[in-house]
Amino acid sequence: MQNCRYSFNLGIADYTIRLLSDSEIKLEEGYLPFVIPESIQVPDFTIECLTEINTAQFEAGDLVFEAKNDKQRFYSIYSIGSELGFVVYNQQKEDEIQQVALLDRTFTHWKVWSEIIENAIIPLKYPLGPIIMHYITLKTSAVMMHASAAFDGNNARLFTGFSGVGKSTISRLMADAGNQIINDDRIIIRNIDSSYFVYNTPMYYADKPKKALLKSVFLISHSPENKIKKLSGATAISKVMAFCIQNNFDKQFIQNRLTFFGELCKTVSIFELGFVPNEQVVHFIKEHDV
Amino acid sequence: MQLKKLVELKSRFVAREVDNELILVPLTNNVAQMSELFTLNETAKFIWENATDTMTIPEMEDLMTDTFNIDAATAGKDIIAFLKNIENLLKKS
Repeated sequence: MQNCRYSFNLGIADYTIRLLSDSEIKLEEGYLPFVIPESIQVPDFTIECLTEINTAQFEAGDLVFEAKNDKQRFYSIYSIGSELGFVVYNQQKEDEIQQVALLDRTFTHWKVWSEIIENAIIPLKYPLGPIIMHYITLKTSAVMMHASAAFDGNNARLFTGFSGVGKSTISRLMADAGNQIINDDRIIIRNIDSSYFVYNTPMYYADKPKKALLKSVFLISHSPENKIKKLSGATAISKVMAFCIQNNFDKQFIQNRLTFFGELCKTVSIFELGFVPNEQVVHFIKEHDV
Repeated sequence: MQLKKLVELKSRFVAREVDNELILVPLTNNVAQMSELFTLNETAKFIWENATDTMTIPEMEDLMTDTFNIDAATAGKDIIAFLKNIENLLKKS
């Protein structure tokens, strides 16, 4: 697909991702601020965007992973020779296939098949976009986490935990205290020359790309009083790693993650934080995270 | 669960030693979320590393009392609790 009619680059978390297609490509709103100028540089990752969904190629593969809950399937992953095949389901229509994708064994080249709707395809339609981001982090020294991150002008603090523990609440409190919110849902952490940086990723709404040096990670929960405990060693690694986005069907993926978090926990402070949702917690964090 | 079963289940985990503790991550074919992964302290790590498919729980108790400053009853409780934890972890994954 060397001479495609449509080609452009996205810059996400300092990765260059090139999309190529013979059909017109539409991006969801959240991706638009991440479009970067075409340049001669070789992209880190390519996504070949194709039409006409065909699942026949998956029939010879082994089902290795299913993201689903009691109500619906989100996506399935198949091992097909040395490649991984992804079947992504429409979240509005049960069992209707929205897209299929193939990731080559180098983890750098994707083929994504989508249906043409109103003369265009949407190759990074949710949830395939975040799935691709996750597999980009698996190829490199990086992770994607369910987390919020706040930048105080010098460093970023990352807050993570289960849904409902207060990631958005603490983001709002940090923002009220003058911090810039990198994002309050999905964050990429990258190790670059032994420093750790947090990045936002495209969401359903438009937000400019952001990057900040990571200083500390807080595993948060609501509490009757503000309390904090510094973690280290195996406890720190296991608790932080539990909140990264995981497709743990492959031993090598897990080994990569353990290596990443082992190094991260030596460089970045890890805390458990129980907090009362008011502005006092911002001062409390600053007092203890020195 | 017996120690033989534990040996069989080892292939369903990835283990990493950190500061004399062992982190266990279960392989899984779904998106089950865990509040934390499993970390083994010194005695649990000993059981994990020394269990064989022919070893009985009393034999492991003997090995533990020879190695650590604990009696057989304490060792036995540690072994049973550990095996139960492993079973529970796999149920969640």
